[in-house]
Amino acid sequence: MQKHELQQGIKDSIPIILGYLPLGFAFGVLANEAGMSILQATTMSILCFTGAGQYVAIGIIQAGGAIFTVIMANILLNLRYSLFSTSLVPYLKGHVPTALGSLLSYGLTDETYAVAMNRYQEHAPTASYMAGLNLSAHLGWISSTLLGAVLGGYIGNTDRFGLDFALPAMYTCLLIFMLRDKSDVIVAISSAFFCLLIGYFMPAAMANMFNIIIATVIAASLGVLISERD
Amino acid sequence: MNGTSIWLMIIGVSLVSLLPRILPVALFSRFDFPKPFKRWLAFVAPAVLGALTALSVLAPEGAISISLNNRYIWAFLPTLLVAIKTKSLFYSLLVGIVITALLYNFV
Repeated sequence: MQKHELQQGIKDSIPIILGYLPLGFAFGVLANEAGMSILQATTMSILCFTGAGQYVAIGIIQAGGAIFTVIMANILLNLRYSLFSTSLVPYLKGHVPTALGSLLSYGLTDETYAVAMNRYQEHAPTASYMAGLNLSAHLGWISSTLLGAVLGGYIGNTDRFGLDFALPAMYTCLLIFMLRDKSDVIVAISSAFFCLLIGYFMPAAMANMFNIIIATVIAASLGVLISERD
Repeated sequence: MNGTSIWLMIIGVSLVSLLPRILPVALFSRFDFPKPFKRWLAFVAPAVLGALTALSVLAPEGAISISLNNRYIWAFLPTLLVAIKTKSLFYSLLVGIVITALLYNFV
């Protein structure tokens, strides 16, 4: 256990937790309204660390949908993480033991992925860093869900605190950090473009976030074609 | 959905959300990816971040909203400038959150 790495991971999770606060809170409130108990809502956030997937589950439950529908929707929604996880492999190799690395990857989300990849551009990954980042982000998600499920209607609309922009702001900043050369810029812009284009013409792909997968595959391939770096 | 169904649903969702995260690291770590595939993978992160940024700003509610009424666009521009200028996550978040709160409460 490397204390410094663990602390760095925890520190890097703070912006994520800020962003999760209103999202987890809202999930707790909605889950409660959809007929889930406080225990069920909180357990769901403990066992399934998948924000969008949990929202979709609530939506389907409220519409009277079947478990099968919830699970199918979640398979589609979570498929992109196999791509994220695969792209982590070359970084983790030789630095984090496979068993530990795959266990800690349970905490892979859009947000922890963005932060971790940013860190790994300059620093080798460690299990301690992964644990610090993923576990504290998850803890933030669980506690905000619990708060939402318990406090429910008391706080009301959390948008007035501006925290709903925490994650977009974090993505924006990490995107800037991530751009090393012109080919990265072209890849990021084309990915953004294709993602919106596909989402516009295929609302279903937007709903299950498949547009992120397709746009990433196209843009990364474009990157390989235009880039001269190794 | 009754109590039992909800528990079953929670278990099902946890399985299908955990497997795609854990399996690739567990299965692929023993292989050495071919070089062209590694080059391709190196572009996955910038591509994902480009897509996530675009979606979170231009489709905050899940549907594309490119209009002057989308306050995220107004918060995005200064956040982007601060991110480029300061290279600081803290200041970028601060500016983004404060501007979004101001726009929400006063515009």
